[in-house]
Amino acid sequence: MKKIILLITVLLSCNFLSYSQNSLPNLSLKTIDGKTINLVDFGEKDQVVVYSFWATWCVPCINELDAINDEYEDWTEETNFKLIAVATDNARTSSRIKPLVNGKEWEYEILLDTNQDFKRAINANTIPHIIIVKNNKILYTHSGYTPGSEIELYEKIKELAE
Amino acid sequence: MKKYLLLVAVVVSIQVSAQEKWFSGSFNSNSQYYVDDSKTGDFTEDDRFRSNNYLKLDALYKNFSFGVQIEGYVPQAILNFSPTFNKEIGLATYFANYKNEKLDITVGHFYEQFGSGLVLRSWEDRELGINNALMGGKVNYTPINAIQLTALYGKQRKGFELSNGEVFGLDSEINITDLLKSTNSTLNIGLSAVRRVNEEATNTNPNFNKNTDAFSGRLNFSKGNIYSNIEYVFKTEDALVELGTVNTNKLAEGNAFIFNTGYSKKGFGIDATFRRLENMNFYSDREEDGNIYNQQVVNYLPSLTKQHDYSLANIYVYQAQPKLSYNPLGKAGEIGTQIDIYYNLKKGSALGGKYGTKLALNYATWYGLDAKYNIVDRTYSSEFLTFGNKYFTDLNLEVRKKWSKQWASLFTIGNIYYNKKYIEETVGDVRATTVMAESTYKYAPKKSIRVEAQHLWTKDDKKNWLAGTLEVNLSPRVSFFATDMYNYGNETKKIHYYNFGGSFTKNSTRIALNYGRQRGGLVCVGGVCRFVPESTGFGLALSTTF
Repeated sequence: MKKIILLITVLLSCNFLSYSQNSLPNLSLKTIDGKTINLVDFGEKDQVVVYSFWATWCVPCINELDAINDEYEDWTEETNFKLIAVATDNARTSSRIKPLVNGKEWEYEILLDTNQDFKRAINANTIPHIIIVKNNKILYTHSGYTPGSEIELYEKIKELAE
Repeated sequence: MKKYLLLVAVVVSIQVSAQEKWFSGSFNSNSQYYVDDSKTGDFTEDDRFRSNNYLKLDALYKNFSFGVQIEGYVPQAILNFSPTFNKEIGLATYFANYKNEKLDITVGHFYEQFGSGLVLRSWEDRELGINNALMGGKVNYTPINAIQLTALYGKQRKGFELSNGEVFGLDSEINITDLLKSTNSTLNIGLSAVRRVNEEATNTNPNFNKNTDAFSGRLNFSKGNIYSNIEYVFKTEDALVELGTVNTNKLAEGNAFIFNTGYSKKGFGIDATFRRLENMNFYSDREEDGNIYNQQVVNYLPSLTKQHDYSLANIYVYQAQPKLSYNPLGKAGEIGTQIDIYYNLKKGSALGGKYGTKLALNYATWYGLDAKYNIVDRTYSSEFLTFGNKYFTDLNLEVRKKWSKQWASLFTIGNIYYNKKYIEETVGDVRATTVMAESTYKYAPKKSIRVEAQHLWTKDDKKNWLAGTLEVNLSPRVSFFATDMYNYGNETKKIHYYNFGGSFTKNSTRIALNYGRQRGGLVCVGGVCRFVPESTGFGLALSTTF
C-alpha cells in the first residue's frame, strides 16, 4: 500500500512539474461514412483541433456537444479551430451514431473509435474527455462536463489559437 | 515490486530531463471501504478496505512504442471482481510495437476487434473487471489504403495468468469503392476467420475436434443519406458446456446473422437492426462458458437495447442470450430487432420553440429461437426466421428541451417487458413503466443545479420505486451530488439506496468521494452485466493522465 502511495505521489508531482507535450498518436480511424483517415491529416498548420470523446449513451457528453453546437458557428468564425467528435461506442450502440448526429444537426466531423484504440492511446480513463491539439501536439486535456464549462473550453481554445 | 518502482523512477527522471516528452500514461484507482448496515446486511467477508489500481505507461521512440500496465488489488479486488485479479501488485499487460505506413507489428498484449466483434474482440473495461487482452503477436498490413489485413495469435489474459486455449485470427477489410475510385458511395467487404484451440483432458468422442473455427463475412454500404451493414457468422461444432462441465459427446454448430440499415438527413435519423444468434458462446477455455465474471470471452455479443442513463431504467436490463442450454430451460439463442428514431423539432416552430426540441424514440424486442428440445438426448432443432418465447421488449421516448439560456430539461418515458424466467433462469416476468424528468438551471455562467425525479410502476417482482437526484456544480471543477432510490412498493423490504458525494476535477485529473448503498442485482455497463450483492460503504475514485 505504502509503495503504491509513494508511486502515485512521484508520478503526480512529475506531472505537475513537467511542461513537455505528448504527440498525437499515429492512428487511422474510420469516419462515419466508412472511409479510413489518419489523425495527422486533420487540421492545417497552426490550426487548433479539438477532439471530444463521447458516446451515444453518455448524457453529459451529449450535453457538452449540444452546448458547443449552439455556439459552434460563431466560435469557428471568430477563431480558426475545428472539433472532431470521436464516438467511443462499441458494437452495442454504434449503429445509433449516424442517426443521432444527423438528428441533432451537429456540425462536427465524426470519427469511430469502436474498440477504443484512440481513447486508450491518449490514456483517457472516462468520457467526456477532451484534448486540444495543434500541429499534432496535445496541448491541453480535460475530463468531465458540467453546464457552462464549454465557456472555459472556448477560452482555452482562443488562448492556444494565438 | 522493486523492479517496477525502479522502472517508474527511470522513466520519470528521463521525462523530467527530456525536452520533448516521449512517454505518457495514466493512473486510475477505485477504492471501497465497506461498513455494516442493518438494512443491507453486515459485511461478512475479509478485508473491509479494498482497492483496484491501474498504472499505464507508454513510451514512444520514432516508429517504436512500448507499454506496460501495472495493476494492484490491495489487499484484494473490490467486491465482485473475478478472484483471478486478486494480486497485490503485478505486471498485467505489456507490449512492444513497430509501426510504419504499411506495417503495424505488436508483440505482447494487444486489443483487437474484427468487424463488429461477432467473432473476435479483445477489450478492457475496468468498471466491469473485463480485460481479455490477447498475449502473443499481431501484424496489421496495409499494402494500399483500401486494403487492410490482420493476422494474430495469442492466449487470452486470465487475471494475471493466461488461458490454456489459444486463439488464431485472420481478418481482411477491403474498401471496394476506394479501389474503383468512386467517391459518392462507400462499400467495404470484410472476411474473418478465428480458430480457438483447446484440448480437453477427458474426451471419449472420436468426432470431437479440439479446434473450433468461426468464419465471418460482412458488407458495409453507405451512399448519401442511406447506409446498410450485413454480417453472417458460421461457427463449427463445439462441445456442450453445462455448469462448467464440458461434454464432448454433445456437439453443435453455431451461427449469427445481423442486418442493420438506416436513413438520416439534417434533423432526422432512423436506424433499424435485426439480429439472430444461435449457439454463439465462444470462450478461450471451454469450461469458462457462462462464467459470471464475463472472463475469457473471445467474441462480443452485446444486448441490442438502449443503454439507459437513469437508475430506475437500469433495474430490468436485458442481456443477450447466445448460449445453448437444456437445463433448467431449453434455450438455443435469440432473435429480435431494434429501431431508433431521432428527430429535431426546428427552432422557431410551434413545438420547437426558440431553441428547438430534440426527440429520440427507441424500440427493442427480443425472443428466444423457435426450437424443439430433446432434453434427454441433449439435441434440438430450430427454425430460422420464426420467433419463440418472448424475452424482452422496451419502448421508450426521450424529449430534450432547452427553455432559455439558463433552463434545460429532459424527459423520458419507457415501458418494458422482462421475462425473468428466461433471462435470469429464475421465475416470473415483469411489466414496468418508468418516467423520468430532469431540469438543469444555470444560475451563473459556469454554475448550475440539476434536479432529477424518477418513478417506476410495476405490480411484479419488487413493485414500485421512486428515485431522485440533486446535483450542484459550483464551478467546472467542483460538484456535489445526492441521490436516492426508494423501493417503497416492496412490502418485505422497503429500503432507501441513498448515495452522496462530491468530485474535484482539474484538467484531466479527477478525485471523487462518495458514501452510500449499492443496490444488489445485475449491474450493467456497456451491455455487459454482472451480478453484485448489496453493500454499503465509502468510495474513493482517482484518475489522472500525464
